[in-house]
Amino acid sequence: MWPRSAKLKSLTEAPLYEEREVLKRVPSLRFRLIGIGCVVISIIAALAINFVFEYSQRLADLSYDRLLRSALLQMDENVGLINNEVSIDIPWSAFATLAQANEDRVFYKVESSEQGFITGYKDLEISPPQTPIYDKVQFFNRQYSGEMVRFAFLERHLTEPDATGTVRIILGQTRLSREELASSVTQRAVDIVLMIALVAIALIVIGSHLVLRPLHRIERVLEERLPGDLTPLDIDTPQETYHLKVAINHFMSRLQDNLEQLENYTADAAHQLRTPLAGLRALAENARDQTSPERQHQALEDIVNQCDALSQTVTLLLNQAVVSHRMQTRYREPIDLLTPVTASCREQAVTALHQGVNLSLETELGSAMVLGDAFALQQMMQNLIENAVRYSAQGEQQATEVIVSVVAFATYYQIRVVDYGKGIADDEKERVFERFYRGRYDIAGSGVGLAMVKDIVDHHGASIRIVNTEPKGTTFEIDIAKFQMEVTE
Amino acid sequence: MKTRIVLMSMIIGVWANLATATPVWFGKPHAARVLRINSSLDLASFAPLLERFVALNPDIRVSYLDVNTFELYQKTILEKNNPSASLVISSAMDLQLKLINDGYGQTYTSPVTAQLPSDAKWRDQVFAFSLEPVVMLVNKDQYPGKLPQDRQDLLRTIRQYEEQMTGKIGTYDIRRSGVGYLLASQDARQADATWGRLIEAFGSHQLQTYCCTHEIIDDVASGKLLLGYNLLGSYASQRARLDSRLEMILPKDYTLMVMRVALIPKHASNKGDAGRFLDFLLSNEVQGMMQTKALLFPIRPDVTPVITPYVVEATGPKRAIELDQQLLVGRDYAKQRRFISSWEIAQEMKPK
Repeated sequence: MWPRSAKLKSLTEAPLYEEREVLKRVPSLRFRLIGIGCVVISIIAALAINFVFEYSQRLADLSYDRLLRSALLQMDENVGLINNEVSIDIPWSAFATLAQANEDRVFYKVESSEQGFITGYKDLEISPPQTPIYDKVQFFNRQYSGEMVRFAFLERHLTEPDATGTVRIILGQTRLSREELASSVTQRAVDIVLMIALVAIALIVIGSHLVLRPLHRIERVLEERLPGDLTPLDIDTPQETYHLKVAINHFMSRLQDNLEQLENYTADAAHQLRTPLAGLRALAENARDQTSPERQHQALEDIVNQCDALSQTVTLLLNQAVVSHRMQTRYREPIDLLTPVTASCREQAVTALHQGVNLSLETELGSAMVLGDAFALQQMMQNLIENAVRYSAQGEQQATEVIVSVVAFATYYQIRVVDYGKGIADDEKERVFERFYRGRYDIAGSGVGLAMVKDIVDHHGASIRIVNTEPKGTTFEIDIAKFQMEVTE
Repeated sequence: MKTRIVLMSMIIGVWANLATATPVWFGKPHAARVLRINSSLDLASFAPLLERFVALNPDIRVSYLDVNTFELYQKTILEKNNPSASLVISSAMDLQLKLINDGYGQTYTSPVTAQLPSDAKWRDQVFAFSLEPVVMLVNKDQYPGKLPQDRQDLLRTIRQYEEQMTGKIGTYDIRRSGVGYLLASQDARQADATWGRLIEAFGSHQLQTYCCTHEIIDDVASGKLLLGYNLLGSYASQRARLDSRLEMILPKDYTLMVMRVALIPKHASNKGDAGRFLDFLLSNEVQGMMQTKALLFPIRPDVTPVITPYVVEATGPKRAIELDQQLLVGRDYAKQRRFISSWEIAQEMKPK
């Protein structure tokens, strides 16, 4: 029992599974967006943190260097002659300034060029890394007493009247407070940067969901539709997907039109076939009821003629279906226009003669290259020639001539089909191309021939005109563009 | 040169002292661990705390060596690589701070030290456990005239009763006592002019100088001195309470407040127990005990809600000596040399 159900299940699930597999392989717009967003935000955050790290170090040095400079200058101010020797009376306030860096050890040394060591830490190396400039405070980091110490250095000339040479002061404090300040700034900034980054990523995730939601909505609405429902989508969409909605609606309305056209065509074709069938039936009944053999024979002859006409109509409908299918599916290719024209003339010549019409092809061209579909063009010519021959038989006087000609102009070829029949009234000239329009119902014809001609002409980007033939009759003129070989200069 | 000789002689003095000094032991003789403390605190004030400590920690034996503040500083430097004590306690805040600044101490943190206000510790290496006023002690019976309320009163009395006051005023020898130097330099810092007049008056009236507080107090009590200047409030108040002849005076112009601070030397052999003892000193129990038993003035008086009769409150402005880098200024080599030399000139003393 279960293998069957399993089979059933697998049968129903197989397409779903395949779809899921395909879905796995195709790239996700959303994940790509999130991925790129995360990478970019991470890079920016890393740069920002790096910048903040350096900046906070500079900031800490900047602020604490001010304290150090202030303390150094206070010391410097108190260098002078005390009891006839160069000495320094370090002010308490100088170290009160330094005490603002709560926990930092303080080292200093004062010496003069004349007396050497005056006070401070004897083993402290006083020379700054750069050549000192007099009266200019210089800052540098140097290891001392097991710690990295920030030093300020100043050398100046003694200005007291009895003193000569220079005095050098070096004052340093450990970097504890600086590091603390820098790390607190960095910490705060890193917190903020990380928060912003997380918010940005969250926004991308949520935003991408929101952005794609209207698409999902359209998708869902379309999926939930009944198979035959081609009415326009009626949902609110934002600007970005508005055009998509409009395009879908437009496409659906075209589809709807096509379907309607097809339905009409089918209905009309059925109608077209029903009339001759009804006639056929009437003729057959007539034949059945005839008693005299001569009349019966005549009636049967009528049935045969009617069958021919019906067959012609069916052929025409079929040809039209083939042509329209070809026009939808095939691309045009360079062909010699003369080939289908000649072929159709040759095919129609005998039939025309039966009807007492002399069909002739006039052209001086060796070849006429156009972009087109040879089969469709041959169908077009056939319809036009059939039409011309049929109309030649109308009128008070039988016309005996139908002329097909192909003439070259600068950019196009013109095909002319000339008859000397009754002609078409001006107000009917535009309507003859309408499907199932028949100028005269007493003349045999499907009413689809010229409509098909118009379709083929349109498909080739050509134009068709109906003009009057002198002294009477109708001339169809078709202008079709020459095929230009691409010339590269 | 002069100073160097003085320093040399002091170092020799330290060695002489060290040779003779013997520590006092607390706790069971066979306790597993030994904590050695070098301290300038008078044992009388400290013994009850030490007894309590060994009672709470029976596996620790405490050796307590009483050393003068300046000697203590010298000793700690000399024993830099192999310190004899794991805890060094002194009221010479400047020397203790200089030891830390020069890298002789080590960091210690615990929940107890974390509670300590930031102005009662520096770098988590030196910790204050008491804060006490610096006072004058007077022999009431023999003091001529009105008892002084401030330094100006004292100067007036000296001028007025020159004969009676000559040779009857005692204070620290700032060359031998670390805390004496600290208090003198802080006096000079607080009121330079007053300080100048004071040492001039002291010098011209045969100032008696001492190494240690209790000797000054003894002499004031016996009547050998009429007034002791710049004494540590905890010792003075203890004696003044017991001895009716003595009157403790907190100068009204300003009262210096000095901390007793402890540090753990860098290479201390028993850092763990030193820390334990520090936590003990700063604990609520011991801070309260200092106050209720009138041993010391605790750094955190707020832990004892009861107002004890031993509490003394300065009536004038209090000038707490800050436990920070400013203390280094007082110990600046050039400043110290000038300060001592001007002191010597004022006292008409000649170096030995």
